[in-house]
Amino acid sequence: MTVNVDVSLSYAGVDDDAQAELCARLERGEPAAIGQVYDEHHEAVRAFATRLVGEPASAEDLVHEVFVSLPRVIRGFRGESSLRTFLISVAVNHARHFVRSATRRRAAMQKLGDEPPVSSPNPERDLRRRELAEALTRALDALPLDQRVAFVLCDVEERSSSQVARIVDAPEGTVRTRLFHARKKLRALLEEEGFR
Amino acid sequence: MSDDLLSTAARALREEPVEHEPARFTRARVMSSLHKQQRGRTRKIAFLLPIAAVLVGSTAFATAGGRLPQAVTQVLGISPTPTLPRPAERAAPLVRRAPRLAQPAPTAAAAPEPETTAAPAPEPEESPKAAASAGVPVDPTHELYRVAHRRHFTESNPAGALAAWDAYLAAAPRGRFATEAQYNRALCLVRLGRNAEARAALEPFAAGRYGGYRQREARELSDALGR
Repeated sequence: MTVNVDVSLSYAGVDDDAQAELCARLERGEPAAIGQVYDEHHEAVRAFATRLVGEPASAEDLVHEVFVSLPRVIRGFRGESSLRTFLISVAVNHARHFVRSATRRRAAMQKLGDEPPVSSPNPERDLRRRELAEALTRALDALPLDQRVAFVLCDVEERSSSQVARIVDAPEGTVRTRLFHARKKLRALLEEEGFR
Repeated sequence: MSDDLLSTAARALREEPVEHEPARFTRARVMSSLHKQQRGRTRKIAFLLPIAAVLVGSTAFATAGGRLPQAVTQVLGISPTPTLPRPAERAAPLVRRAPRLAQPAPTAAAAPEPETTAAPAPEPEESPKAAASAGVPVDPTHELYRVAHRRHFTESNPAGALAAWDAYLAAAPRGRFATEAQYNRALCLVRLGRNAEARAALEPFAAGRYGGYRQREARELSDALGR
């Protein structure tokens, strides 16, 4: 299943005044405004959160955190990128705690050999894909958060390095360096797992 | 391992189904959390506002009443307003409460030495100029009282003080400090040796015409003068 990810930098269909008005309403914590933003962007935020955290329950908690903190953090939105991109950056800023707890849970599950069995409807391709995705998620657990974020945003969500630089508020060169190290470590880790 | 495999793995992760089923539940959770936050803020305001109002009100009241300690007024930069006379200082015979300025009472055996019995009356806390600059209406008789107070307690000049107390009482027979002025005038008469006049001046105090104010001291002084 493919999830649509907004990679544009413009907030299509909404002019500056409308966006400013929406931001003002968000800052006031108007439930209708937050509901509207949630309805428009929750899929993208959830998709990113799930890929980054690797666990639906923790990802859901991260999504909750992003939207609850919106009235407080919206002041930092200057309209230089889309609101969706801003929400992803908020998720990045809140991710540390959720990634850590999900990683701990995964490690514990693996130790106990209690990983739920793959319930693929048996087509080989699906099974192979699933195994690869799970192996990659486990490998991501071994990366520092900034490298993990860079890899998920660039390679999984296919965002440009300039866009990722804006999301993580770091120079583009730094993002590329993080990505380089992330790829190197992930290759090694997947090889250790027997993927060639 | 080739880059292709890493790309394949990334694509596999990208294509992993994302459960949007809990979206509705999370939406309700977000709304509930925001509502709780808002309620918490409202409750905080509802709790802090009355406290702030009481603090501001009591500070204003204390400032107006001159009860705000000097240290606080210095920190806040508030000009103290003249002290309101205490009930017993208003020359009201019905007032029962004695002022706190009472000095140790002379013993009955002690000689009527004015120094031992002199009760320093309250000095007006602020000069008329300072009070005027603070925008507070000033009683012009305060200056007369201040002069008498200085002659009596600072300069120990009973004759000068007597004249000044008389001047104050003539100007403000029912003034804020008339009772103290009357009593201090009697003390001046004691110091000047004008015993008969002193006894006559002390008599209303001893008889309790000014409530309990200086009653015991006046009685003891009168007794000592009569001996």
